[in-house]
Amino acid sequence: MTTGSLLVADLVLAVLTTAGWLGGGAAAAARRRPLALGLATLALLATLGRALTVIALARAGWWFAAEKVLIAAPLSLAAVIVAGLRLLRAAGDIRSAAVPLLFAGYAVSGALLVTILHGYPASASTGLLAVAGIGTATAVTWRFLDARPSRTVSRAATVVTVAALLAGTGLAVAPDTATAVPHDHGYPQIRTTDEPTRRFTLTAGTATVNVGGRDVAAWAFNAQVPGPELTATVGDVVEVTLRNRDIGRGVTLHWHGYDVPNSQDGVPGVTQAAVLPGQEFVYRFRADQAGTYWYHTHAVSDVGVRMGLYGVLVVRPGPTTGLDVTVPVHTLAGRPLPAARVERVEAGVPVRLRLINTDNTTHRYALAGTAFQVAAIDGFDLRGPTPLADTAVLIPAGGRYDLVFTAQATPVALFVDGRVVWSTGQVSTATGGWPVLDPLTYGVPAPAPWTGFDREFTLVLDRGLDLHGLLPRYAHTVNGAADPDIPRQVVHRGDVVRFTIVNRSQTVHPWHLHGHHVLVLSRTGSPAIGSPLWLDSFDVRPGEVWEVAFRADNPGMWANHCHNLGHADAGMTLHLMYS
Amino acid sequence: MRKAFVVSAALLLVAFAVQFVFAAVGAFTKPGGDGAYALHSANGMAVIPVLTVLTALFAALAKAPGRLVGLAILPLGLVVVQALLAMLANGSTDAAGVSTVLGLTIGGLHAINGIVAVHVVVGVLRGARRLGAPAPVGDIRAAVREQEPA
Repeated sequence: MTTGSLLVADLVLAVLTTAGWLGGGAAAAARRRPLALGLATLALLATLGRALTVIALARAGWWFAAEKVLIAAPLSLAAVIVAGLRLLRAAGDIRSAAVPLLFAGYAVSGALLVTILHGYPASASTGLLAVAGIGTATAVTWRFLDARPSRTVSRAATVVTVAALLAGTGLAVAPDTATAVPHDHGYPQIRTTDEPTRRFTLTAGTATVNVGGRDVAAWAFNAQVPGPELTATVGDVVEVTLRNRDIGRGVTLHWHGYDVPNSQDGVPGVTQAAVLPGQEFVYRFRADQAGTYWYHTHAVSDVGVRMGLYGVLVVRPGPTTGLDVTVPVHTLAGRPLPAARVERVEAGVPVRLRLINTDNTTHRYALAGTAFQVAAIDGFDLRGPTPLADTAVLIPAGGRYDLVFTAQATPVALFVDGRVVWSTGQVSTATGGWPVLDPLTYGVPAPAPWTGFDREFTLVLDRGLDLHGLLPRYAHTVNGAADPDIPRQVVHRGDVVRFTIVNRSQTVHPWHLHGHHVLVLSRTGSPAIGSPLWLDSFDVRPGEVWEVAFRADNPGMWANHCHNLGHADAGMTLHLMYS
Repeated sequence: MRKAFVVSAALLLVAFAVQFVFAAVGAFTKPGGDGAYALHSANGMAVIPVLTVLTALFAALAKAPGRLVGLAILPLGLVVVQALLAMLANGSTDAAGVSTVLGLTIGGLHAINGIVAVHVVVGVLRGARRLGAPAPVGDIRAAVREQEPA
């Protein structure tokens, strides 16, 4: 069983336990003896099942089980003891078992709410607040069912509840010293002073574009979606003038995967101010990394990119030989881009397909009709790629794969989620059942460029209630906090930094660190044994633990976030800064 | 207080009816997407829980029988389950984000749980109106019987 399905099973068992105790209590209150006993038995069995899932989760990693061991386990034990002891003395009126059963229900619901609303890390304040809630609910029930306990029990319950409430609230509102990193208001200025050799102008504005025969409202660079394809050759100095015609919420340009100097990274409020209507900003950087990249706005990025403010950036090592095709996949107003294209290619011509996923979710790409190699991922060439056939690739949000093959006389077609996007003729192959390439085992390994790590960070991805803003929200969180309350990660120049990224949630989080490519070390305990993988976008699926590392060699303040931009907007963004 | 209980239970039933309308709005919005169910989410995660708590509170203040108060608070639990079912159904996809049979089954449970919740609210509203109306003889007898030890 994968950790992802264990998390689901544990959640289902927790709900069953809660329903069993609460339903049993209600049945007891209504003097439905067999029903009450049956539901209590269900709760007991579900509790036993949970013991197994929690142990399995703890073995998979403490992050998955922390609050279940520290908060849910004691509360479940209290539930079993209180309700179970009362049921063992079951002689007499079943109604007298109502309060113990309901108490058990409140105890496990409290634990369930801690998991759903707070998650990792287990904190004393949430545990105490849960105890206070359970105490209050039990007291109300005593009153309602006219089943007041002895004075001693009642006093003890009141003292515990009030103490838990005060201590829990106190701990929750106590200022957290970890977040107190000063915010500087200046933006980095350093950029290349070399004379540009490639100049582009991108004007952002609202536009109506045609997708699949239908006019849709979009935000576009130069009135086209995707924006103009920017190309350069290694050694060029690229200058891009960004103008904003009428995007009221502002635009910027972020060079996704291109490790530019910090001042050119295009993150509003961090590396520059958002470019408002009528304003402009000039980006200039040296094209020293060949490969497939893309650019997009980072101002209101979720809406902005979805509405069409993105385009392709390709840097070639030299003059193109053969056919070079870019396939930026996007969903605009619910319709898939790009439109299907058929191209005649002579046999023997080398073809490079640059596959780019500009959406918020993973896409599945399948190249039918030919063997191929994955030459590069996220702009970095792979070492010793072997020929693949009848194999699909999954590209995470923001990620890029370069597929290469030599054209044959027979037609070839590229399918994206089952839709033909690019082809050299009619191909009717069913690709849905193809196995998926695991890049961690593809290609030839090489020794790591370092031996130890100077700094390590763990990022536990989850959901949780965020009460720090104007309105409470159910945020996507990192280590239990949501942007802007996630502590910054501070590194020194030259440090070798290791990230451990853990997904406790029920959704995929495509992770994206700005300004650096990270080397994949392992996924859920299995080391990367293929070609070195230098990624800037990788899917951390539910229950997975990724270990990645990089050398801190690009000073500045860098966004480090989930590239499902809706999640980033909902709190899953933090920053890496150099001290 | 009895009147407040009736009004609040009626409003809760309306909110549930509207919730089904919003589900249909989400299902028929073209093109679909996360935004299609925004109304359904807001109504389900904010309006319905608040109205449920109010209804249970009014039920308690109106000195409704414990069974009715319990029934009035029950939708809150069902709503939590409802949100979890939606989350699991959305999460149960294959690696490329395509729905699986398991996910769709969980999605089906979301619909069934919704129907159960509506029935509970109808029961609460009936109980609230009976509480407000002058009690017929049979009901008094039933109420008395409930007080007796078994």
